[in-house]
Amino acid sequence: MHWAELLAELTLMPLVAFIVGLFMVLMMRKIGARLQRRIGPPLLQPLYDIVKLFGKHTQTSHGLLHEFGIVMAVGGYVAAETLLPVPGMNGIAEKGGMITLLYLTMIPSLGLALGVGQCANPNGSIGISRALTAMLAYDIPFVIVIAGVAMHFGTTNLVDVVAQQQAGGIETWGATQMPLLALAGLFALQGMLGKQPFEIYVAPAEIATGPMVEMGGKFLGGLFVMQCFQLYTASVLYVTLFLGGGENWVSFLAKSFAVLVLPISVAFLFPRYRTEDVLTMLWKWPVILGLLGLVFVGS
Amino acid sequence: MIGALDMLLLAALAAIPLSALFATTRSGRWLLVAAYAVQFGLLIMLQPATAAHSALSFQLLGNAVGWQMDALGWYFAVITIGSAGFAAAYAAGEWSEVNGRLGLSLRWLYAGLQINVLAMLLLLASGDFVSLFIGWELTSWAGLILMLLAGGDAIRASLRYIVYAIAGGMTVFAGLVITQAAVGSLQFDALHAAAPSLGTGRLWAIALLFILGFSVKMASMPFHLWQAPAYAYSPAPGSSFLGSISARMGLFGIALVAIKLIGLAQLDRLSLVTDLVDLRGLLTWVAVFTAILPTFVAMRQNDARLLLGWHGVGQGGYMLLGVIIADRLGSAGGLLHVFNHATYQAILLMAVFAVIHRTGTADLNRLGGLVTRMPLTFLAMLIGIIGLAGLPPMNGFVSKWMIYRALIVDGHPLLFVATVISTLGTVLSVYKLLHNTFLGQLRLEHEQIHEAPWSMTVPMLLLCVVVFVTGAAPGLVLQYVAAAQQAIGLEPVRYILGGIESPTGSLDMLWITAILFAGFGIGAVLFYLIGGRSRRVHQLDNYAGGHFLTADVRYQYSDNFYAGLMHRIRPWYRGSFEWTESALVSALGAASTLARGFFEQANPAQWVLVGTTVIMTWVMWYALG
Repeated sequence: MHWAELLAELTLMPLVAFIVGLFMVLMMRKIGARLQRRIGPPLLQPLYDIVKLFGKHTQTSHGLLHEFGIVMAVGGYVAAETLLPVPGMNGIAEKGGMITLLYLTMIPSLGLALGVGQCANPNGSIGISRALTAMLAYDIPFVIVIAGVAMHFGTTNLVDVVAQQQAGGIETWGATQMPLLALAGLFALQGMLGKQPFEIYVAPAEIATGPMVEMGGKFLGGLFVMQCFQLYTASVLYVTLFLGGGENWVSFLAKSFAVLVLPISVAFLFPRYRTEDVLTMLWKWPVILGLLGLVFVGS
Repeated sequence: MIGALDMLLLAALAAIPLSALFATTRSGRWLLVAAYAVQFGLLIMLQPATAAHSALSFQLLGNAVGWQMDALGWYFAVITIGSAGFAAAYAAGEWSEVNGRLGLSLRWLYAGLQINVLAMLLLLASGDFVSLFIGWELTSWAGLILMLLAGGDAIRASLRYIVYAIAGGMTVFAGLVITQAAVGSLQFDALHAAAPSLGTGRLWAIALLFILGFSVKMASMPFHLWQAPAYAYSPAPGSSFLGSISARMGLFGIALVAIKLIGLAQLDRLSLVTDLVDLRGLLTWVAVFTAILPTFVAMRQNDARLLLGWHGVGQGGYMLLGVIIADRLGSAGGLLHVFNHATYQAILLMAVFAVIHRTGTADLNRLGGLVTRMPLTFLAMLIGIIGLAGLPPMNGFVSKWMIYRALIVDGHPLLFVATVISTLGTVLSVYKLLHNTFLGQLRLEHEQIHEAPWSMTVPMLLLCVVVFVTGAAPGLVLQYVAAAQQAIGLEPVRYILGGIESPTGSLDMLWITAILFAGFGIGAVLFYLIGGRSRRVHQLDNYAGGHFLTADVRYQYSDNFYAGLMHRIRPWYRGSFEWTESALVSALGAASTLARGFFEQANPAQWVLVGTTVIMTWVMWYALG
């Protein structure tokens, strides 16, 4: 591939991810509003929020690491997006694969954890300890899903995974071939997005907003950007593994937004579990589903 | 005729008295660091395309005993001398002066380090079973010197170690005796040639005895209890050296005897009851449990040294797993992990000991907030924990990735999931280590702390460079791993400078690293160039839900860091680990009560004689029959 073309892809992929992510945040708020019989925010509200947060006069920093944590949180996702194939652009997806992507998406979480750690606020530390526990909870079913998908397609290369599904049509989609794993993946997705019932680590009523407690101004703005990337990454990864990736941009975007509707709706209808119950819940049902799914893949 | 290998061994031998002589002065200690550089240079010159032989040899009971070093031994030797050199440099300056004043015997420390290196070189260069056993025993006893030096808790840990080590040594010896009986020779080639024609009973005995003996050194489950305290309580350079490489001698033994000499084809003949379970299958699960359980034990530790010690045990599980899967990618991953682990574990232990050097404690509940006081040590530990947790772009990720890939490709999804569970546990645990030491609230008594001296930070940071560079360009190490694979009769890994190229999923760390830093660059531009300027505030100026934090109120959250998780998994600890441990302890207790009963009631000497006779008869029966 020509280097200019590659450079264009590497620039466009994170940019597209961010813009799509903004609309995903908007959709999340709209769904929440409709479920609560409100109208919800206007089209550009997520963007206004980011501009507002970055433009604030009061920007409180607790030190270099607090700042660098935000840089890592945003930068890690910017990098991760280039490993996630979208229609017409593969970026460097063939040089990484799904295991690398899984671990690369831990970098932003580590950045957030470092940044919060330096704030010396016990509420923040409690939030991080809970967030990392939640990660241990949802990543176990998620790696079972990853293992199953990699076994089924015989590769860890996401470009091949997409190509195989698109060559065979809907009956070769991951979701058709591995419905149990797809279901387990949906559970894990809910945890990964940190939405109710798995959002104890930000529980405002209990630990004064957890990891976000010392985050204001552009620190919070950076985390807002991170959230856009996070929504995009989780849904696109799910589409890539189970729903045949994107044949073109229309079907790609339709699938990506559709995947999020269920977790977001669930989020606005459920209260939250305690940390230990998050573990029980995610280590029980999705793991059982995932292991059953693995049996079918293996046989 | 003195060859290159003899030069190396002689240099290591000569450095022992030099160490005892020069260790008490600062310039003397730097001279000893130079001595390690010389040994490293001699080793590099050795680079064995074919095995390098030593001129030293003798006859024992009709067996030729000699030493030679092939690519496998060479690879481990590089790590051994490298670890020792960095450990020696770390301690050369202020550390030794302070600890020497506190009563630590520097002569013994430096001589002990060099004795360990010599013993390990002899083991790694063993050319037959007798020299293997000599090297094995020397290594076991040499380790004890470093462990005993610190006194106090270290003494108890060392005694526990030596009981395990003697048992392991005896098991290896029994394996050697049975090999002699079954094959009629103690030459490596003889076992290799005879293995296909050996009956499964004898093959089982040989394989099991050697693997058990070596597993004790590796602290594979269920022999995992001794290692963490034994390594952790050693003085800083000893701990860093032992933690980096010592336990890996067991892996060397398994790779040599089980993979090279007995061979995969023969190992696969060893099945239990039905063909469903075989020795290799059993060992993979032993390896996986060794990767998982010690990791979660580590998470509960409040002493930073013990936390790292337990991770050392757990990471050994990955290496064993890779070597036992023994395919092209997995075995390369296992062997590469030996190097990677040695580098980041040395950094982590050095960083923890730097904190101890300044604050006097490794208690994770008594530290915190040191990032502003010891930023370089923090940076070193950060790079170390990214390596240990196996996240990109550090080198630990690459070796683990190779093992994951091998497990998926070979159709072991459950093993893959299990190894990732271990990695996730590691992430949680190392964050606790970093958080409780460097993040959170700085204690009043640590206000005046300043950075560790350059003699300690420079070795750490140099190792960080190694961890980063071999993470971004793993091909630099993989070429030697591939040679080591060939030396033990495995297919060598197909590598590129950036990692692995394969039709079923590649890894190019050059790209991954570049893109990650480009991402950080974009993140930094967004953060620093757009929006208002940020203002630094005092650490106590934070939001506490209506309360105010003051310097005299401890408002730090570090004890029982993962309360929610522990609430859920604590019953499992009680249920399994503690039960196993207490069962072992009561079994030992019962045995010792029995022994004391004999001792008190009967004529002790008579029983000793009976016992010895029984053992000797058994040995002779096997040796001669």
